[in-house]
Amino acid sequence: MRRTRLQSLALYATVALALLIILFPVYWLLVTALSTSAELYALPPSFWPEDANWGMFAQVWQDRPILMWLGNSMLAALGAVALSMVVSVSAGYALSRYRMRGGATMGLFVLTAKMLPATLLVIPLFSIFRNYGMIGSLWTLVIAHSTMIVPFATWMLKGYFDTIPRELEQAAMVDGCSPLGAMVRVVLPVAAPGLAATALYAFVLSWADYAYARTFLVNAPGNWTANLGITTMQGEYVTYWNEVSAAAVFVALPVLVIYLFLERYLVGGLTAGAEK
Amino acid sequence: MARISIRNVSKSYGALRVLQPFSLEIEEGEFVVLVGPSGCGKSTMLKVLAGLEPATEGQILIGDRDVTDLAPGDRDIAMVFQNYALYPHLSVRENIGFGLKMRGTPKAEIAARVEDAARILEVTPYLDRKPRDLSGGQRQRVALGRAIVRQPQAFLMDEPLSNLDAKLRVHMRAEIGALHKRIGVTTVYVTHDQVEAMTMADRVVIMRGGEIQQIAAPDVLFDQPANLFVAGFIGSPGMNFLRADLRDGRLSLFGQDFATGRAELPDGPVVAGLRPEHLTLADAPVRFEIRPTLVESLGSEKYVYFAEDAVWTAGGEEDRSRGLIARVAHGGALAAGQPLQLGFDPARLYLFDAATGMRL
Repeated sequence: MRRTRLQSLALYATVALALLIILFPVYWLLVTALSTSAELYALPPSFWPEDANWGMFAQVWQDRPILMWLGNSMLAALGAVALSMVVSVSAGYALSRYRMRGGATMGLFVLTAKMLPATLLVIPLFSIFRNYGMIGSLWTLVIAHSTMIVPFATWMLKGYFDTIPRELEQAAMVDGCSPLGAMVRVVLPVAAPGLAATALYAFVLSWADYAYARTFLVNAPGNWTANLGITTMQGEYVTYWNEVSAAAVFVALPVLVIYLFLERYLVGGLTAGAEK
Repeated sequence: MARISIRNVSKSYGALRVLQPFSLEIEEGEFVVLVGPSGCGKSTMLKVLAGLEPATEGQILIGDRDVTDLAPGDRDIAMVFQNYALYPHLSVRENIGFGLKMRGTPKAEIAARVEDAARILEVTPYLDRKPRDLSGGQRQRVALGRAIVRQPQAFLMDEPLSNLDAKLRVHMRAEIGALHKRIGVTTVYVTHDQVEAMTMADRVVIMRGGEIQQIAAPDVLFDQPANLFVAGFIGSPGMNFLRADLRDGRLSLFGQDFATGRAELPDGPVVAGLRPEHLTLADAPVRFEIRPTLVESLGSEKYVYFAEDAVWTAGGEEDRSRGLIARVAHGGALAAGQPLQLGFDPARLYLFDAATGMRL
């Protein structure tokens, strides 16, 4: 069906509006990072600094342990992704494929865990980690982030496995695979776009966390993640927002790069041709 | 290839029994078709045979081996699925060779056998493509290739043609038949299409509600149906059924009283079955007049529908709401509502017990 000129116009206008809403904070972050302190407080605000201060990025990189913070964030996120994916792939596959007593209820129960806010869960988690002497460790963050990721990732993957025809595993089993072999050799490769999307989601969830890092790591500066580190750049009396923004740009970059790398996996359609 | 013995195999899901005790002996190289309406248990039987579903009771032997408790991969069978179930992430070559690879066959042998299978099924030009780049018919051939390359004891096919369009289905039907003749592997084929069953099978197993209704060669099923269900299921259009009373071997149908030639049968209510093609416009021992409610022309022959209220279906499986049907050879015009003389030979009548549905 061909769109009329008016429909096209409305479509482009809507997309433009959505882009504006989504991209404005990113643009403003960049403007803030490149502006001088005087420009930041000027009224009316300027929408692009007269003399963009690109040197701010180098300055922040030198003055603050950005690399260490990013490294810690990366370790926590990769650890949480690895742990969550192992658990969620197994759980999602089991919920999708095996009929078991109470399976559906258990599945829903897993989902309710996702509905609780992090601020509510942080108190019992803190109590558990303190009892085991784990406060201040990056491993603690890996486990805490996994509790946040697993419920949603399990459901996301279950939904994805549901779309993969069972006959693929059955064919693999007739061809000589064990049930686990069929899952590893056939289902997981076919589910690659779903796995990539879930892993990316898990990564972003861990990367974006502040509450857990603040609670479990505040007294261990060597383990601070980027989000926690940036908040320490706020002074008691003065905050150099251009410096904070420059640091924030560094924090946003890895997610962007990973997204660009995974983008081709995120586009589905790999299952096309599996059946009719 | 091997004999297959299915001995008293049943299947239940909890309290629900989907397959009544099922016994079938399949000879070496035989082509057996399981046919029946949706939900009759034919696909379940095939999955039990493949080991994809465990049997609740009973025993399955392939060759001399008891495979009842063996995993699908250890049964030395190959299966072709309704939706082909080709591995989308592998090339056609890898799809066909997958089973051999899983069994640790040397690479050189895999390559040679894949080439052989591809040549037999004429898919050699597509060996390096992914399944998504193939048409439906080509995918079906690859699925068949995956089955034959392993040289298994038996082929199991689960409605392999139902996703193809009508023309391609007829073509592939002939190809599967030719392939079976060429390699002679014992084959169990599941379909809901009676034409496939009748044209391909050495023997047909008709199922309904998880129970075997009849096991026989196609012509025997057509000429000597065991019961009302089989009589109604086999043949297109389906057999006409009429309730009647048998008195001294005589019946009264369409206002005509005549001898059935079955004087040995006891008096009582029966169901009389008459195939549409046994009703004729030509002279016949019993003649009667009808007013067609509808005439469908197929060119050289016509389907004449009449006596809308006399309809009586066997088991309600087929919706034949348009009454009784006569399939007559007639090249000219036949009009609905105009009187028409039809006739039949009482020797062509099938008589069924009104209570049990069994053929008398």
